[in-house]
Amino acid sequence: MSGDYKGIDKGIDKGIDKGIDMTALSALAEPNRMQIVELLREGPLTVGEIADRLGLRQPQASKHLKVLSDSGVVEVTAEANRRIYKLRSESFLTFQSWVKSFRHVWEERFDNLDNYLRELQSKDNQ
Amino acid sequence: MTSQTITSTVENDRVLVLEREFNAPRELVFRMFKEADHLKHWWGPQGWEVPVCKVDFRPGGVWHYCMKCVDKNQGDFFGMESWGKGVYGEIIEPEKMVYTDYFSDAEGNVNEELPATEVTLLFVDLGGSRTKLINRAVYGSAESLQTVLDMGMLQGITETWERLNERLESLK
Repeated sequence: MSGDYKGIDKGIDKGIDKGIDMTALSALAEPNRMQIVELLREGPLTVGEIADRLGLRQPQASKHLKVLSDSGVVEVTAEANRRIYKLRSESFLTFQSWVKSFRHVWEERFDNLDNYLRELQSKDNQ
Repeated sequence: MTSQTITSTVENDRVLVLEREFNAPRELVFRMFKEADHLKHWWGPQGWEVPVCKVDFRPGGVWHYCMKCVDKNQGDFFGMESWGKGVYGEIIEPEKMVYTDYFSDAEGNVNEELPATEVTLLFVDLGGSRTKLINRAVYGSAESLQTVLDMGMLQGITETWERLNERLESLK
């Protein structure tokens, strides 16, 4: 592997600087915010568009967007007098490595272990 | 091949318990966790290898490992390394082992910013060369506790993460 990547650690460090990781998880543990993230997967949107699509009042949408932006899940750019929100892909990388440490990673490990144990035992029986 | 199911529950809003049965005698399952040569074969998740795995298997001993993504289909993860460090606590062979799991770097420095987890593995002999493995993970810091709490209280959040995970794949 080239030296370009210092690995996930690097991603995680970046995450801490921007305050993602734990706060992002908490931020997303709210159904409206999760829906906003799902909506933004399709592309950047303004607050007004997000509020419309989800049937929220604009101040509510703004509040959720602020939490998502503070925790590094989304980023905002100003365009003329509009504020455009989009997903930050870096946050998801950090995030995915974190999520992996939960149930998912153990499921995969246990599957591996199961297969490996089968292999070992069939060798022993030969 | 019958696929074994994993069960997961959250106890007291902060303990994640995973259980699964294996068709192998308890001693053998225990050795899978104890010996580096075995761990290397299965510890990495799908598409991740374990190029480094050093085990000092005794209470207070350190287990230092590296997982590396070797699957080109995992996009940005391909080539990435993730280092982990475990410090062993109680060990009762072949019934039980406890370790504290940390995020670390290649030098073994613990990343204090990310939550440590205390993991207790129980190996239950079911007879007939079958073993139930119980993995109890206790989330320690206030922050990680809160996260697990959030996850535990929100029904279906695990599925949400899994769905998110799948969708993230398509983001790349």
